[in-house]
This record gives sequence, structure tokens and C-alpha cells, in this order.
Amino acid sequence: MKPIHLNLAAEPYRNRLPVYAVIVVASVLVAFMALTNFDTWYSYRHDTRETRAKIDKTDADAAQERSRAQIVTTQLNRLDLVRLDSQSRFINDKLAERTFSWSELLDRLEGVLEKDVRLISIAPAFGDGIVHLNLQCEAKTSTGLIDTLDRFQRDPHFENPFPTSEVRNDGGTYSFGLRVDYRPSELKGTAQ
Amino acid sequence: MIWREKRVLLVILALLLAANTAFFFTYRVRYKNRIDSLDQRLAESEGKLNEARAERLAAERRYASYRKVERDVQFIYDQKWATQSERLTAVIAEIKKLAVASDLVPRSYTFTNEEAKVVETARSGRRPPSLDATEVGISYGVEGTYEQVRRLINLLELSDQFVIIDAIALSSQSGETLQVNLHVKTLFRGDRPAGEVPASKRL
Repeated sequence: MKPIHLNLAAEPYRNRLPVYAVIVVASVLVAFMALTNFDTWYSYRHDTRETRAKIDKTDADAAQERSRAQIVTTQLNRLDLVRLDSQSRFINDKLAERTFSWSELLDRLEGVLEKDVRLISIAPAFGDGIVHLNLQCEAKTSTGLIDTLDRFQRDPHFENPFPTSEVRNDGGTYSFGLRVDYRPSELKGTAQ
Repeated sequence: MIWREKRVLLVILALLLAANTAFFFTYRVRYKNRIDSLDQRLAESEGKLNEARAERLAAERRYASYRKVERDVQFIYDQKWATQSERLTAVIAEIKKLAVASDLVPRSYTFTNEEAKVVETARSGRRPPSLDATEVGISYGVEGTYEQVRRLINLLELSDQFVIIDAIALSSQSGETLQVNLHVKTLFRGDRPAGEVPASKRL
């Protein structure tokens, strides 16, 4: 008896599963990576565009600031600053002289000078918050100069008393001069 | 073999995969570098902007302060000092009025007029600029008691006129009567407004 070999398959049998599996997995992988890459590319474009726009705006703002600073500097250069400085310092000095209180000074000198010492003349010169006084006095005794220097040194409103001259007069009195720094309670100007 | 049958598809997939992988790594790396570099550039730009802004604000502050000083100077020159033609007679009248008010009427007055000058330390060695102001001095001698002299000094200090007591000299000959020599001064601006730049300074 002859054996019967039946082949019922339409096509020859082959195992295609590994191939399809590779194709599917590779396709999924390609699709996923393509999406990721697109997202990366899009984010890059978007983010950098924003940053670039910010940089451009910041650069433009900086240029504008520099231009405005330049305009102000030009305006500053147009001012005669040397003259303005001299004028304001001069005005400050004059305001200090104007606001200087002679009444207060005389009150304080009355407190310093002894009874037998007379004030002959006062000439102030104004410095930074301090007044340099040139005084001429007349004393009845020979110790007038020393006593006066001593009293100026003890008074907190006066500093650095220093004699400039002493002359014995015909009438037996003594004329003497001295320099002393005086610190008034208020010596100010308005302009700077 | 089935692999051979599908080789075109497999090759295409392999190429696509390789391309995507290459793109993925290179782009990711470049992306990071680019972003970092742009962030750095942005930070630099912001730094420059802040610097420029600070410079502009400093310049504006300087300018504003100079303008304020200029206005103050102008105010003193125009309102307090004014020109001689505007204020000289008023000053003289005030001095005389105060002398009468303190019962110390002098017999004579001496007037001086000189251009105001800056007492410069002259570090730069340059000639000090003109102040465009004149100083008028008035000297007079009076006789009276110490109280009268103090009253006159007080009145001069309280005067609305810009009068400066420059120096006082005292002497006494008899009893309580003092002879007082007073030197007062005042200032006037020139005819040109204080803030006006001289022609030589203009461009």
C-alpha cells in the first residue's frame, strides 16, 4: 500500500513570527523616537526663540539706556560746572557769614573776657564750620594776655587761642592781639 | 528565507532607527549646549542692561543735583542779591533805618564796590571763573552805649536785606560811651543772569 502524503497548506510552512516581531518593534521604536525628536526640535525652536527674543529686547533696552545716559551726559557737559561749583561755594561762604550770629559771639566773649580786659576789634574769617577770629584787646594789667588765653582755652566754644602781639601803652595799659578759633552753634549755607 | 524577502523593509527600518538615534543624541546635546549658551548670553545682556541703567540713573541724578544747585544759585543771585540797580538804594536805606532805630546815627558813611572773587586754594592752577557778583562794603562809625551797639548788631542780623557784618572795631574814650566802627557788606549779582553761560563757553 502506498502511503498518502497530504499537504493541505496553501503555501509552504515558514515561521514568520520573529520577522514580524522585529518589524513591529522596530516600527514602534522608530515612531516613538520620531515623535520624541520632533518634540525636542519643536521645544528647541520655541524655547530658543523666546530666549533670543528676550536677548534682543534686553540688548535694545541696554542700547536705549546708553543712549539716554549719553544724552544726559551731553546735557551735563553743557553746564559750566567749574563756574557753578565756584558760585555755589562762594554762596555757601556768604550764607555762612550772613547766618553767623554776632550776638551769640559777643555773649560768649562777654563770658570769656575778664572785667579789666576790653575788646577793641573783632574780625572774623569763615572756614568749614569754624570761624577764625582776630581779636584786639586792651588790658589794665600785664597779666591780661595770659589770663585771656587761659580763659579761652577753658571755654569749649573756643579753640587754639594764640597771641599775635602785646604792646605796653603810655597810659600803663596793655594792648594785645590774639587769634582764636570759634565754633558757633550754627554755621550753615543752603546751596551745595 | 523570509528575512531576505523582508530585507528592504528591514533595511529601511534600520536606517530610520539609526537616523532617529543619531538625531536624538546629537540634537539633545546641541540643544542643551545651545540653551545654556543662550541663557548665558541672556544673563550677560541683562548684566549689561543693569549696568547701562545704573549709569543712566547716576548721570540723571548728577544732572538733577547740578540743576538743583543751579536753581539755588539762581535764586540767591536773583532774589537775595539782585542787581545794584534793583537793590542798592534799599540796602542803604535799610542800614540808615537800623541806625536810627538803635539811636546810633553816624555822621558819615563810606562805600566801596569791588568784584567778588573766589578765595581759591587754586590746586588746578587755573584762573578761577568769574562769579558775576560784586561786593559793596559800607563802613560807618557810631557812638553809643554797649546796649545800643548790641541792639544795632541784632537789628542788622535780623534784617531782611542780605547784609553781612564784616568787622567791628570798638573803642571808648569816656565812661560808658563807646565808639564803634562797623563794616558791613552786601552782594549784588551782575547784569547777566547767574546760570547763563558766557559766550566763550557756548558751542
